[in-house]
Amino acid sequence: MAAAEEETEKTYIWEGDYERTWEAIKEDESGSLQTVVDDIIHRAKRRRLLDRPANVRLGMMRHLFVVLDMSKSMEDQDLKPNRLASSVKLLEHFIEEYFDQNPISQIGVLTTCNKRAEKLTELGGNPKRHIAALQKCVDQPCSKEPSIQNSLELAATTLRHMPGHASREILIILGSLTTCDPGNIHETIKAMKDLNVRCSVIGLSADVRVCRKLCDETKGTYGVILDEHHFKELLLEHVTPPPATTNTESSLIRMGFPQHQIHTEKNKIEQPSMCMCHMDSKGSQGFSTSGYFCPQCRSKYCELPIECKACGLTLVSAPHLARSFHHLFPLDLFQEIQVVDLQDTDDRFCLACQAEFRDQTVYRCPRCEKLFCIECELFIHESLHTCPGCTSCRPKRTFTTFHQ
Amino acid sequence: MLHHLNKVAVIASHTNRSQFLYPTREPSPSSQDVDESRYQNIPRDGKYEHFAKVDDTVFKEVKQLITGQEEELHSDTLLAGSLAMALCYIHRLEKEAAAGEKLKPRVLVIKAADDSASQYMDFMNIIFTAQKQNIVIDACILDKESGLLQQACDITGGIYLKILQRTGLLQYLLWVFLPPVKTRSKLALPPAIHVDYRAACFCHRTLIDIGYVCSVCLSIFCTFSPICTTCHTAFKFRGPPMRAKKKKKITAVENVI
Repeated sequence: MAAAEEETEKTYIWEGDYERTWEAIKEDESGSLQTVVDDIIHRAKRRRLLDRPANVRLGMMRHLFVVLDMSKSMEDQDLKPNRLASSVKLLEHFIEEYFDQNPISQIGVLTTCNKRAEKLTELGGNPKRHIAALQKCVDQPCSKEPSIQNSLELAATTLRHMPGHASREILIILGSLTTCDPGNIHETIKAMKDLNVRCSVIGLSADVRVCRKLCDETKGTYGVILDEHHFKELLLEHVTPPPATTNTESSLIRMGFPQHQIHTEKNKIEQPSMCMCHMDSKGSQGFSTSGYFCPQCRSKYCELPIECKACGLTLVSAPHLARSFHHLFPLDLFQEIQVVDLQDTDDRFCLACQAEFRDQTVYRCPRCEKLFCIECELFIHESLHTCPGCTSCRPKRTFTTFHQ
Repeated sequence: MLHHLNKVAVIASHTNRSQFLYPTREPSPSSQDVDESRYQNIPRDGKYEHFAKVDDTVFKEVKQLITGQEEELHSDTLLAGSLAMALCYIHRLEKEAAAGEKLKPRVLVIKAADDSASQYMDFMNIIFTAQKQNIVIDACILDKESGLLQQACDITGGIYLKILQRTGLLQYLLWVFLPPVKTRSKLALPPAIHVDYRAACFCHRTLIDIGYVCSVCLSIFCTFSPICTTCHTAFKFRGPPMRAKKKKKITAVENVI
């Protein structure tokens, strides 16, 4: 919560001090700028990791509505081929990453055009359905103006009924500078705040005061893109679970853990059956002998995670829950040390990749005191989430209460 | 031997350490030791030089590892650490590869020891990273079955095999684990085993079909309890939803009257 207060005091960049960026860039011995550029990139990445507050409760089960603006301003070609196509392509990537990092969460997609809002896909956990629907809407015409109020209220009708322990979020991708609303949008903003919905906006044109107010009131984030690369970064920031608000209840959720079984009767003959997820489809997809059987009502499904249509039990497998563990137990940041400060007893090699240290800064893990190079440090913190040094020695670690 | 550009690295997973057996750490080319050792290692029996180098290095390093330090030995091995080092090494090689060249990395684990229970979470992180980087993990098990490696092979698309006859180890390695991933679909390989993905509850460590999951820390319990033992959050006790509906019906009837 302290971080949120700091954000309200942030001023615009032109109001701050004058930054002499040309002084930061220096050529190295061979006259190339590459090392300085790499250094700046690395520092930016590390700063982002540092900004994330530790020991904050995260909303692990997320219900996110993505609102895609389909108004006239999305036909603008400042993003290639036009804003709509570029947004759809990045959203597809976002949806895949989202389900990768939050396997037990759900997404729904809304579009807004012509001063109204429409539901493109319902809240669900199957990424292919959302991606297919998004690809179809690239061909639809963009017209007139969007309506933020209508899309917020449409999303709220579904989010209202979601259980209290799940986080409720809305992400609006807004290309226009206006919104055409039927009523007072400030009342809608207040209603969102009361419903505990976290609204974030990614603006494609410029900073709009209404959006900033919406995000500030609901504790969301507001970003305006500079280019496509920045757009991707802003989108991917929403993949990680946000800090949970104080109103989020914590409860025990009943879940089933089905096994992949081959359906057999008492006399052990394999019997094919139709699965519940493809029951409405016209093809013969889903007609097979094996699948996951809900432990409560024995209905068959071919993929997990899914919510059982017959009895309402959420079905997951243990690796799905395990995928979210690294958010809950994040890896400590490594300490930066200069090569010249290393003692003689330390190796000159990175423990993980066995390469000799070429850069000036190396990183030391605070727990196991082993040294790593920049590349491995980035890989460890962004993808791997475990320190090879700590896992290679017998635990004097203290965070293994989990498994005892 | 399948392709002249293939490269191999060997990592030993000792009870207290993980160490690269091959390739050994290369000092920078400016040191003088390199020239001398090059002259010493010329093989004399007509063997392909590269193979001779691998053999000798692995032999020497294993000998050094076993006779070197005398620490207490445990029956389980720190596999997660070795796998993490392997993934970092693959990452480094992918970065150093020329632009446009694609590596098809895979990891073979030859294991006889027990699983280490405290490494579950690190192991799962490593498995998901390997899956994302398209790295296939194969497992060749000599002695005891390993649930963690079964899950690893299933998730990354590798082969899990428990060797039935130890004398035939070379044959198993050549037949099952040598072919690259693309040709595996054309070969008649041992069938995939059924992996048990059921979760174990945190209180009794029994496998459960239906359980309760804490929404804050995702720990799994078999029975409802008012406080989560891992994150110590108190849960609101929810009464069965039937009662609320009955109340509504009664008030509706009262209103009518």
